[in-house]
Amino acid sequence: MSSPRVGIYGFTGCAGDQLMILNCEDRLIDLFGAVDILSFAMAKSDNKDEELDVAFVEGSISTEEQLEHLKNIRSRAKVLVAIGTCACWGGPQAMKLEEGGFEKRYKGVYGDAKIAVSKALEAQPVDAFVKVELKIPGCPIDKTEFLSAVSKIVAGRHPYFYKFPVCTECKWKENLCILLEGKFCAGPLTKAGCGAVCPSHNIPCVGCWGPTDDLNVGAEYKLLIEKGYSPEEVTRKITKFSGAEVAKLMKGLELKDMEAKK
Amino acid sequence: MMILKMKKEDLSVFLETVKEWGELWGPARKGERVVFQRVDGLSQMDLKATRTIIPPKKFLYPQRFTMFDFDDKGYVERTEHVPNRILFGIHPCDIHGIQVMDELFLEEYRDPYYAERREKTLLLGHSCIPDDKCMCSARDTEFIAEGFDLFFTDLKMFYLVWVGSSRGHDLVRMRPELFNRNIGRDDILNYNEYRKWKKAQVQSGADFTGMPDIFELGYNSPIWDELAEKCLSCGQCTMVCPTCNCFNVVDEVELGTVEGTRDRFWDSCMFREYSLVAGGHNFRDKRVERLKLWYTHKLQAYISEFGEPSCVGCGRCVATCPVDINVVTVTKALREQEVGK
Repeated sequence: MSSPRVGIYGFTGCAGDQLMILNCEDRLIDLFGAVDILSFAMAKSDNKDEELDVAFVEGSISTEEQLEHLKNIRSRAKVLVAIGTCACWGGPQAMKLEEGGFEKRYKGVYGDAKIAVSKALEAQPVDAFVKVELKIPGCPIDKTEFLSAVSKIVAGRHPYFYKFPVCTECKWKENLCILLEGKFCAGPLTKAGCGAVCPSHNIPCVGCWGPTDDLNVGAEYKLLIEKGYSPEEVTRKITKFSGAEVAKLMKGLELKDMEAKK
Repeated sequence: MMILKMKKEDLSVFLETVKEWGELWGPARKGERVVFQRVDGLSQMDLKATRTIIPPKKFLYPQRFTMFDFDDKGYVERTEHVPNRILFGIHPCDIHGIQVMDELFLEEYRDPYYAERREKTLLLGHSCIPDDKCMCSARDTEFIAEGFDLFFTDLKMFYLVWVGSSRGHDLVRMRPELFNRNIGRDDILNYNEYRKWKKAQVQSGADFTGMPDIFELGYNSPIWDELAEKCLSCGQCTMVCPTCNCFNVVDEVELGTVEGTRDRFWDSCMFREYSLVAGGHNFRDKRVERLKLWYTHKLQAYISEFGEPSCVGCGRCVATCPVDINVVTVTKALREQEVGK
């Protein structure tokens, strides 16, 4: 059996997920041995645009040129895997997606400057444009989760990711709950997989893995308001990384709060 | 059953001696937290701490562990890597919790991974100082008569040491000169005072009387919807509960090979994935159904099967839930038909 043909691509993001793949140091030879990497602009020259078994795509889509490239990758790939939070959920650049008003924001930043590169779009996650078979979230992705998924794809098995919130991993590590201290923590809204790195150092979860399987945004929102946070601050904090997704669930919550104030 | 007396200053020497049998673990401070950790001796333990974040179930049934290694020819169990461990400073509620786990993992279906760890673990209990979250009196778990190898009751001037198993007795025989059977009138009076004192310490207000009936009557109560609206589905309650034992199993494959491991990790019936079955059907798709399942399992269904609730009154759910959903508030809400603030 020949090795799976793989391409690794980056769009709008910090390239941290591709970097994390290269950072798999001691496993890199195994990785390059197990798959045939046809395209990985960050790591090699002589990249080919050919038929692929698996395409790994990092970053959100924010220009028309990127969109065309993405569609081209999709047309060549049997399986498309979104890697990293920008590709999976839009990332910080998609924070305002649900609010609308992209044109106005664009004008606020660029004024009437002529942008020659490519027409800009409101940044959106990859699955807003093409079919995505698998999401490997993270900011950046976790090496263990990535290698576990690749190993299974190569072996013809289904990858598995924790679907529960990061609170589970946090408790496994016997941390005190940051929410109980009255401080903001996005743990209950956020997918596990990072090993609860931040709360294990007493730093609140900022939600960089994106939304978990079954989050209760309303309960988290209400709890934080009770702890003294303003609705604006709560919204800003919990939509930071997975804005596109969480903002949909947030709609109506602020309204309820405002009605309650009346 | 045998009860011996020991001078308090001799405990340190005793623990030093029993380390010959295996690793010594006990409750120790880690910043503001108290967790069961491997210790060199008594001086590193905090025996005044009321509860650790996770109960000692983590030793018998770790958060995530490898069950076996496999390749295309078969599999090899990974039970031989378990060390001998002595857990010192386990409180009565947590020993009750281990007894519940024993029933589930060793009786009808013997779990080889649990059994191996249980066999290699000695439980040395210690009396505790309850706080406002403890519910042991309401659950009748504030004292313990069996399920441990040794149990140390601190009576200020000395320890009364319960010998609960032949393995516990073997430890005593490593240093027989540290123990005596000269128990007199004052010791009995002291012990009786201690029992009264302990009962008076528990003031959580928990009331589990009539619970199976209250749950049956309240099964369709809108109280559950109110609770579910508050619930964050974070699952912390199930991770810290001494009797929660749900797990998931997943294979990990070595890159580019057919070799791998099968791992087991803690899961929770509070999560939607847990009740998801092939074909996409979910038996408990709604949060309210999952919340109801957990509480009815602990405080109603378990009673019908094993004769008592599987809550041991340790207070960890009370200390852990960020939105104040726990066995005290839920039973109270059901009883009074009102969710407290």
